[in-house]
Parts: sequence; structure tokens; C-alpha cells
Amino acid sequence: MKHRLLTAAAALTLAATAACGSGSGGGSAAPASTGPAELTVWIMDGSVTDELAKRFETGYETAHRGVDLDIQIQAWDGIGERVTAALASTDAPDVIEVGNTQVAQYAASGGVKDLTDKVPDLAGSDWIPGLAQPGNIDGRQYGIPWYAANRVVVYNKELFAKAGIEAPPKTRDEWLEITAKLDKGGTQGIYLTGQTWYALAGFIWDEGGDLAVKEGDRWKGALDTPQALAGMDFYRRLQALGKGPKDADEANPPQHEVFAQGKVAQMINVPGGAARVLEVEPGMKDKMGFFPIPGKTADKPGAVFTGGSDLIIPEASKNPEAAYEVVKALAGEEFQTDLAKTMNFVPNRASLAHVLDADEGTAAMARGAAAGRATPNTPNWAAVEATSVIKQYMTAVLTGKDPATEARKASESITTTLNSGS
Amino acid sequence: MRAGGIALNAAAAAVLVVMIFPVYWMFATAFKPAAEIQAETPSLWPAHPTLEHFAAAVGADGFWTFWRNSLAVTGAAVLLALAVSLLSAFAVARMRWRGRGAFIVMVFAAQMAPWEALLVPMFIIARDTELLDSLAMLTGVYFMITLPFTIVTLRGFLAAIPVEVEEAALVDGCTRPAAFRRVVFPLLAPGLMATSLFGFITAWNEFAFVNVLIIKDQDKRTLPVWLSSFRDVFGTDWGATMAAATLFALPVLLVFLFLQRRVGAGMITGAVKG
Amino acid sequence: MPAATQAPAPPRRRQEPRAPTGRRRRPGDLWPYLLIAPAVAGGVFLLLYPLLRAATISFQRFRMGELIRGGAELAGLDNYRELLAAEEFWTVTLRTFAWTAVNVVLIVGISTAVALMLARLGRRMRVALMSALALVWATPVIAATTIFQWLFQSELGVVNWLLVGLGLDSFQGYSWFADGRAMFGVLVALVVWQSVPFAALTLYAGLTTIPAELYESARIDGGTGRQIFTRVTFPILRPMFALITSLEVIWVFKCFPQIWVLSQGGPGNATTTLPVYAFKVARVLHRYDLGSAVAMLTVAVLAVALVGNLRRMLRQEGAES
Repeated sequence: MKHRLLTAAAALTLAATAACGSGSGGGSAAPASTGPAELTVWIMDGSVTDELAKRFETGYETAHRGVDLDIQIQAWDGIGERVTAALASTDAPDVIEVGNTQVAQYAASGGVKDLTDKVPDLAGSDWIPGLAQPGNIDGRQYGIPWYAANRVVVYNKELFAKAGIEAPPKTRDEWLEITAKLDKGGTQGIYLTGQTWYALAGFIWDEGGDLAVKEGDRWKGALDTPQALAGMDFYRRLQALGKGPKDADEANPPQHEVFAQGKVAQMINVPGGAARVLEVEPGMKDKMGFFPIPGKTADKPGAVFTGGSDLIIPEASKNPEAAYEVVKALAGEEFQTDLAKTMNFVPNRASLAHVLDADEGTAAMARGAAAGRATPNTPNWAAVEATSVIKQYMTAVLTGKDPATEARKASESITTTLNSGS
Repeated sequence: MRAGGIALNAAAAAVLVVMIFPVYWMFATAFKPAAEIQAETPSLWPAHPTLEHFAAAVGADGFWTFWRNSLAVTGAAVLLALAVSLLSAFAVARMRWRGRGAFIVMVFAAQMAPWEALLVPMFIIARDTELLDSLAMLTGVYFMITLPFTIVTLRGFLAAIPVEVEEAALVDGCTRPAAFRRVVFPLLAPGLMATSLFGFITAWNEFAFVNVLIIKDQDKRTLPVWLSSFRDVFGTDWGATMAAATLFALPVLLVFLFLQRRVGAGMITGAVKG
Repeated sequence: MPAATQAPAPPRRRQEPRAPTGRRRRPGDLWPYLLIAPAVAGGVFLLLYPLLRAATISFQRFRMGELIRGGAELAGLDNYRELLAAEEFWTVTLRTFAWTAVNVVLIVGISTAVALMLARLGRRMRVALMSALALVWATPVIAATTIFQWLFQSELGVVNWLLVGLGLDSFQGYSWFADGRAMFGVLVALVVWQSVPFAALTLYAGLTTIPAELYESARIDGGTGRQIFTRVTFPILRPMFALITSLEVIWVFKCFPQIWVLSQGGPGNATTTLPVYAFKVARVLHRYDLGSAVAMLTVAVLAVALVGNLRRMLRQEGAES
């Protein structure tokens, strides 16, 4: 057993050292870095449009002769298993996009290339913090920040006008009030699925609670605190003002498709979601508006979960040098500008933030980002997400179970998962 | 008695409807236009049948590739299992030897194998032997998954063929291989076909191993993986999803109908009677 | 395990192969061993060896890091200790027993009824019903699972529509997949629906082998239908019932793809049975060591439950050879 693994590890090291000089198939003597033939890049569904991926691929292949870039769009379903298997394999994809809540566990596993010495080359001092930090373990940088995004409320201007609502709400109470007003006849006040857990996280943070807290060196699930329960209660009241399914998340069905039908007044989504609405229904073009998620008081927007992605290079990549070139291009100024403009994401560098100024959606996002938060900072958090315990808790409460009991059960489960070691 | 007969037939009809309905509903939905699928009152059959969902399913990324992969892997695994188990079944059904009982019990016990727990070991083995991303490894695994019950079933069919038939051929001057080929084999053909169907259904369905054994080369994934994540492919398009499920079930159903006509109604039960 | 679950292994025939007369082999003849060699080789390399690796993992500390880097360390019985100490494991084990019991009772009960029904039907109706059963049996698990998701869908699903139509208004938009018991019920419906055809057709085949004279004499003796079943039919078919029951126990106990695709063991943990638990622990939490330990215990539990059956089998087969 051990012996075999060691052999594998040795083979792996050999492969890694040999890789610089060998093509993916033939092992013919190509000079270093100029390019082994084929590079595989995994990008998550929803991060780029097909068109943007194509644009990057063509551009990159033209600039790097002899490189054949294979961009594979990965589904979210079961991605943790696939990335783990890839990291453990001997011929992994060369570049992988991983969510910022997931990157820590992969970095800690030892299967990801340490890119610390490349940080200056990638203008690391300019990186926005929410992405660089989860990719950094004990001072070593494994994940390279790619983009960030936080949710805003996307609304249907036409339906707002019809209901006589002139200005977006500034506080939660106003928000409930106007949403109730919108939720009439065939119109849904808001389309909020029962398992949109990061929206719940925001409401909980607003109340002063958290998903989990660290006590000494142990983590403890915190959904059963009075603050967290208050957050859940607000979610329940808001969710009731529309027909979002109580037992699904926003991907099932994809909420931008529902919104595109024009009978939903609001949804909580990243501004880029608007672009996807337009893919389905171009007629929505001038009907969409944006505002930050309202906070408890008018002077402060609601807390939001800062989502985003990092790029990693697996140790098992056969072409680490060439892979780095791809990372550099993906994280570089030119593509970041294109990405920010096309997808309405926050670019990975602070100095590029101006790219977003012109757009109403991203401006709302930037205002909300001031109150951005992250999930509990532990490699095990990814496991909590994978067990869907929060989602199931939400469904239980929304379908009429006792919130306190359910919250206690969910918190216990989170406690177990966070302290189980990895 | 007459009233009893009516009640019996009514009960049989009820069972028939309950059994068949889910399959029927799959077909019906696949042919309904989206408006009918989303209607408040579902209609029992498609009022305006359409093929658009099939077009959507077939047109989805990689459908034909996955279909081909599935067919290749499943076919190869079933043929291999059939060949190997024919030898074993012959030894068990026609010969006496020490360890025969133990062998049979082992084969039966092999059906208890916890395949889900073997995902990680199989992954490690495939990695260490450079067999990741290879359909050969997948074929090997499917071969092993189908082997135990293929042996058990074939042995049943083989034992049902009287030894005398074979002996008569030998008396007529056939060599033993010739006797087997000319006399036993034709009699066994229905059994072989039935057994291959059992194996086909099993391997055709498998998806957990594809997820760990096929990593980088995504063009080597198979149909059930694609169907089990249909939500990523079709979202809420239930019409397309049902069309995809239909296309997935179709090869098995076709093979089945074909075999049933050839082999007769006793096919499933043939192995049982002895 | 996928549809190995659905593939029938035939019950042992009641008369074993007549001792091959013409070609009786000398003891020590190599032929039978050569013939089983490929199967044994396959079993050793593709089943036994991985199984031993899984067993090894269950005695190691083997998590994501070890999978990627290698170099797992021995952990003795730590994983088993952790597992047996966890309340969840016992809950899951009990649930698995309940799951198996409910399904097997329903499957065997319904199949018996259907088989008896088949034996009495007129030819046309019988063929129709048998074809329907065969069609269901041949429907691939993944397709069937997908169909059930659609049938029980909360807004557009036909089941809710039917129930509302029957006057049960509370099923308007009811989320079957959100409530533990409802989900459990849907899964039972799915598994029973898929399993009945094989069991019913096999039992029916068994029924047809019972000579009509036996029934007649029983009827002449004044037996009621029920008495005939308990005194004539059941005793004769007892071995077949035993075999079908133990096969169904194995298949239902190990049933995985249906549960995983439909509910992933949720909501909560309401439908997490041992195989699902093992898979979740290993693949989702990356505790491959603990997952292997669960699987080993699962095999042990199953083996203990069926040991009587296996021993009887060995005795019978041994006696015949």
C-alpha cells in the first residue's frame, strides 16, 4: 500500500520535472515553457459565457503558438469529488477554477502548486483581499484570485412602476412593505427559493449573528442563536412574498430563467445574472434595475456574502510552466477587464475597479460590497456546504417545522463537521 | 365465479395501470409541447405531439459521444462476462470437482460486494496502473459487476439442457467441441441472450465509477452520468429530460422486445424453471 | 450497486443437474479448474484486491491529503471506534433495517399476490400483465429515477394533481422531497415498483410447476383458497420464497443509485441508509477511512444476516457434487 503510493508519488515527481520538456503525448523535445501541446482548463458553469471562453481561447492560442487550450465548463453538481480526484490523479487538468470557500481545503491537501514566488509577477499587492486570503495557507499562496461578486437585488422596473413604487427600498421594513405590494395577481413580489443560503447568511450577519463561531480551538454551529433565528425569520417572511420553491436552491430551476418570464418583480442575484436573463429574453434589456440588499437601517446596506473564485494549478499538472502562463493571462489586466465588463464581476485587482463605474448593476454591487463578509474561515467549511445542512434547515423551517428545534439540530451537525478534521 | 372473474380482471387491470403508468408518462411527456407540460390540468396524452424535446436532447452537448461510449463499454463488458461465465457455468453445471460448492457460494456472495466502497481503491489502482481516463478500466469494472449473476443465471440455463442431447451427438460421432457448438449452443442461445440482457441493464445504468475513473478526458463519460445530472443540462425542461430518459431507456427496451419475440415469454423465467 | 439489483439470479432448481453420466471426470482432472480460472482471476484482481485495499484503508488515517499525497499511516481501530461511538451510525443502521424490512415485505407480499393473480387470469390479460411487468423490469434505474422525480414534482407533478383531484387539497404544491417521511415513501414506492416484476414473474414461474392435481385434491378435501395457499402452494415454493427474499434483502439493503439521485440521503438524514452514509462520509466529507469502515461493517452485517442461507447453500451444493 504504502510502497505503491510512494512509487506513485515518485512517478508524479518525475512526471512533474519531466513535464516542462515533454509534450502531452509524445515526449518529443520541445523547449521549456514555449509550450507543450495541450492544456486543459476547468472553469465553473456561470463564470464565463460561451462566447467569452471562445474569445479567450482563440486569443490565447494565437498568442502562444503550438498551445491547444481545452476549456471545459464544469457543472457545480459533484464538483468537490471531481476536483479531489483530479488533484489525486497523475495527469490532472492544468488549471482549475475553485470557489473561494473551497480553495482552502484543496490548498491544505498538498495537491496544489505553491505559487508564492509568482505573486509579484501577478501584481499581488494590488489584489482585493477577499480572494487572496482564502488561497493563502500559512503564508504560502496557492490560490490566485480570479474574480469576486456579491449579490444585489435585481428588479423589474416595469412591475415596480405598475405598482406605483418610485424608489428602491432603503431598509428591510420598507423592503417587505413594497414586496408585499408587488405580490399581487400574477406577479410574484420576489422570487426567492427556499435554499438560497448565502442570502440567509447576510440576514444573520445583519442581526449580529453568524453561521458558526470559533470558541477556543473548536468551531461551533451558531444557527440556533437568537440573532440567527431572527435572520431566518426575516427570510421566511420575505420568501412568502412569492412562489419560489421551498425545497430547492436558485439553480433548480435557474432563477434567471424564471425572472426572464417577466412575472417576477425581484430576485437576489449577482449583477451578472442580468446578462443571463438577457440570453433568455433579450426584451428585458431596459427593464432591469438594481439595488443593494437593504440593511436594518437606511444608513447601511445589508451584509452580503462575498463570493468569488480562485485559480489553482494542480501538482499533478503535466505542464505547470505552461499552466502558469494561462493563469497569468486569466488573472491579467486585459482578460480581467473583459471579464468584468462581460460578466459584471469585480476584477481581482483594486486598480481595475473603475471598469465597473459605468454600470448600474455593478455600482449597486460595489455599494453592497462595503458590507461584504466571508464564510467561517476553516478548510472544513467546504464540507458543511457539501452536506447541504443549511439548505435542509431552511426548507424545514419554511415548510412549517419548529425553527428553534431545527436550528439546534443543524447547528449540532455543523459543529460535528467543522471539528471532524480533514 | 363470474363476479369473481370480473373482480380478478379488474384488479389485474389496476395493477397493470399502476405498473405501466410511470413509463407511459415518460413517453407522453417527452412528446408534449412545453405548454401542455406546464398546463394546470395535465392531459393524459399529447394533444399536439412534437419531436422538439427529442431534438433538444439529441442536440445537447456530447449526447452522441456519451451514447457511443455507453454502448461500447456496456457491450464489451457484457460480451466478456458472457464468455468468461460460460466457461464457469459449464464447469459448475456439467462437472464434479472439489471446491465446486465453495465456488458457487463465493459467486453468490460476490453479489453482496459493496461497490460504492470500492470507488476509492479502484481510483487508486487505476491511477497506479495509468488506467485513469480509460474506457478499458471501466469495462473491467463493469465486467466484474455483472459477472457473478451472469454465472448463476447461465448455469441455470445450461443445467436445464439435458445431458443426453449432448451425449447423443457424441455417439453420432461429433467431437466434444463440435457437440457443444452444434447441439448445446443453439439450445442455450435464448439463455445467453436473456443473460446478456441482465448484464446489459446493469452496466448501462452505472454512473458512480465513471465519475472517479474518467477525470480529465470528459469525452469519455457515459450516458447515465449525463442523465443523472440532467438538471445541469436541461434546467427545468422536463420535456427534454423525459425525452433524454426515453432515449436512455430505449436501447434496453428494444433489445428486450427483440429478445422476447425471439425467445418467447418464458425468457425471464426460463432460468428459473430448471 | 446499480441494477445488478434488478438482475435476477435464478433460484436453485429443485432437481440439481443430473449427475453427468457420460463424461464423468476423474478426480484431480484439471479441466474444471481451467474453466473457472478466468472468472477466479477476474474476481481476485477486480473484486478481492480492491476489497482488501478498502479494508486496509479502514485501518488507516486516510483523508483528502493522504489520497492526494499518499503516505497514509496506520490508525488501528480508531475509525471503527469513532464510528461505533457516533450516535448517527446507529441511527443509520436502524434506519437501514427499517428500510430493508418495509421494502422486502412489500415486494414479497405484492409479488405473491400478483403471481397468484397471474396464475388465474385468462390468457390475454395474463400476457398483457406480464408484458407490463417485463417492461417495468427492463426500464433502467436511472431513467426510472428521473421519471419519479417528474411524477412527484411539487408544482407540475401528476401525483399532486391526482391527489388534489381526489379532494386532498393539502397536496396542492406539496413538496414530497422536503419532508423526511414523504421522501422515504417516494423511495419505497420507486424501489417496490422496480422490484415487483422480477419477484412476481419468478414466483409465477414457480407456481406453474405445481401440478394441478395437487390443487384439485386439496379442493376436494374442502380447503379454502387461503388454506390451499398455506398448505399446498407455500410449502412447495418455500425454497423459492427463501431465495427471493434473501436476494431482495441484499438488493434493497445495498440499494444506492435510487436514493442518491433522488434525495442524496436527505432531507436531513431522513433517507440515509448505510451505503449512502458510507458514500457521503467518503466522498463528501473526504473521510475515506471512515467510509471504508462503514462499508466493511455493512458487509459484515449483511453476511451475518444471510449466513444461514449461505451455509444451507454450501451444504446442498456440496452434497450434490
